[in-house]
Amino acid sequence: MGDVSTKISIEHLTYKYPFAKNVSLEDITLSIDAGQSIGIIGRNGAGKSTLCYVLSGLIPRFFHGKITGKVTIDGEDVPTMPVEKLIRKVGLVLQNPFSQISGAKMTVYEEVAFGLENLGIEKDEMHERIDTVLRQFDLYKKKDENPFELSGGQLQRLAIASVLVLKPEILILDEPTSQLDPRGTTEVFETISQLKTLGITILIVEHKFEKLVEYVDKIALLHEGKLLGYDTAEHIFSTSEIETYGVGQPIYTALCKRMGLKKANGYYPVSFGETVALLNGLKGSGMDRRTYNG
Amino acid sequence: MKVLSLYVENDTFIHKLEPITKLLYALISIVITFLFPSIMVGAVFVAFSLLLAISAKVFKRMLLLLNVVLIVLLSMVIIQGLFYRQNVTPAFKLWGLTFYKEGLLYSLLLIVRVVNMIISFGVLILTTRPSDLVDNLVQKGLSPRFGYVLASVLQIIPQMLSTTSTITDAQRSRGLETEGNLFQRFSAFFALLGPLVLNSLVEARERAMAIEIRGFSVEGKRTFVRQIPETKADRWIKISLYVAFIVAVVWRIILWVM
Repeated sequence: MGDVSTKISIEHLTYKYPFAKNVSLEDITLSIDAGQSIGIIGRNGAGKSTLCYVLSGLIPRFFHGKITGKVTIDGEDVPTMPVEKLIRKVGLVLQNPFSQISGAKMTVYEEVAFGLENLGIEKDEMHERIDTVLRQFDLYKKKDENPFELSGGQLQRLAIASVLVLKPEILILDEPTSQLDPRGTTEVFETISQLKTLGITILIVEHKFEKLVEYVDKIALLHEGKLLGYDTAEHIFSTSEIETYGVGQPIYTALCKRMGLKKANGYYPVSFGETVALLNGLKGSGMDRRTYNG
Repeated sequence: MKVLSLYVENDTFIHKLEPITKLLYALISIVITFLFPSIMVGAVFVAFSLLLAISAKVFKRMLLLLNVVLIVLLSMVIIQGLFYRQNVTPAFKLWGLTFYKEGLLYSLLLIVRVVNMIISFGVLILTTRPSDLVDNLVQKGLSPRFGYVLASVLQIIPQMLSTTSTITDAQRSRGLETEGNLFQRFSAFFALLGPLVLNSLVEARERAMAIEIRGFSVEGKRTFVRQIPETKADRWIKISLYVAFIVAVVWRIILWVM
């Protein structure tokens, strides 16, 4: 892992859910390198979750419907890849931490073991892997507790741990913080930051842009099933059209756009750090003392 | 309450037995008490099941379980004592009603059977973690899908109850009358039903997706993080139970033929 090679390749992907009037994804083409972190943004109904389901194989295995185009991971076709192989390649974490718990296990430890049991992993290896992820996600002390007794943030960490214990090379997170408080959100993003260092390819659907931009290499902008942009965060959020798609933008970008403050490369800052650096650079230039009337 | 379980944590010989051994005891003791229309046989099993409950330190909980069926047992005595078809010999009179010996004896037979059923299953339920029982059954060949349904129901039903109370609060805050006369309660129930069913369906779908991506539908050999061991004691108890069962069936057939 870590070498720069195409991990995920999507070519002219179009998908329509059964009984749906319109397509949910239309002619999507993009490629993701190994070890990259990609943010997927777009308003509700843009096709973000659908894209996650295609990449994780839930489409067409779980959701039927009409799929055309080509989706490959490491050159292998995703829709036809055997499930046990695909599970070792891709892990998916869903929005709601409560409904991701299997519900069949009485303790956190057994919950993490659920996927390993399904794959028939030997007992010794199972214990080793579970101990490692529980420590990694700071859940080891909770290992004998009932999963439903955990807080939202802990539960989402458990959901991520339960997927990562299967050692996927790609982790897809579909709005993992949408139901969490600020503390739970920070916990999840810290986890993502840890995973980046392990060289895992990460795709994350997220509306909290201020956090997102700090962790991703590129952003894919989806609108009504189409891929409108796939570039760095500063490229995506600096365009003037971004506001017309109803996705919003980081508060720092909005502020700098309003003030007309651009970075030396001509793009607007997207993160807190960049904004502070830009403002610090303006100190003494006279701009920091100007009266803003915009 | 987070889990529908009556399990009492303890460290006794009974707790350590394989769940299937306890299940087998419950089933075979029930079958034998039903095979023999004898109060004596029933009483022996009741006494033995009680002994198991005491040694597993769950006797007090067991009394609570028996309390639940007390009224049913009493009604058996009254109904059979008064109206059993073969009632001939009056036993005693109470408030002008004659209780008959045959009916009372028959009700006693029914009572020992029911009490044994409750105590023997009680020993299983009170001394076994529900997930261990299900895991044990799956390890012995029960379909993992069926095992999942059994195990998840125990946790998901309490979750649904907590969702119901959230929905009730939400509806009440918008002015829905959930208290009052029967009609008001009934119409409130329908207002809760829609969101509860939809919510449960959405959650069930998400849970199905979540377990799917953790390999639930992968065919092939499964492993278990909690492998429940079959001890020597388990093996001997099972053999004794099978022998008892075979002897009981053969004996019953001989009695029937003669």
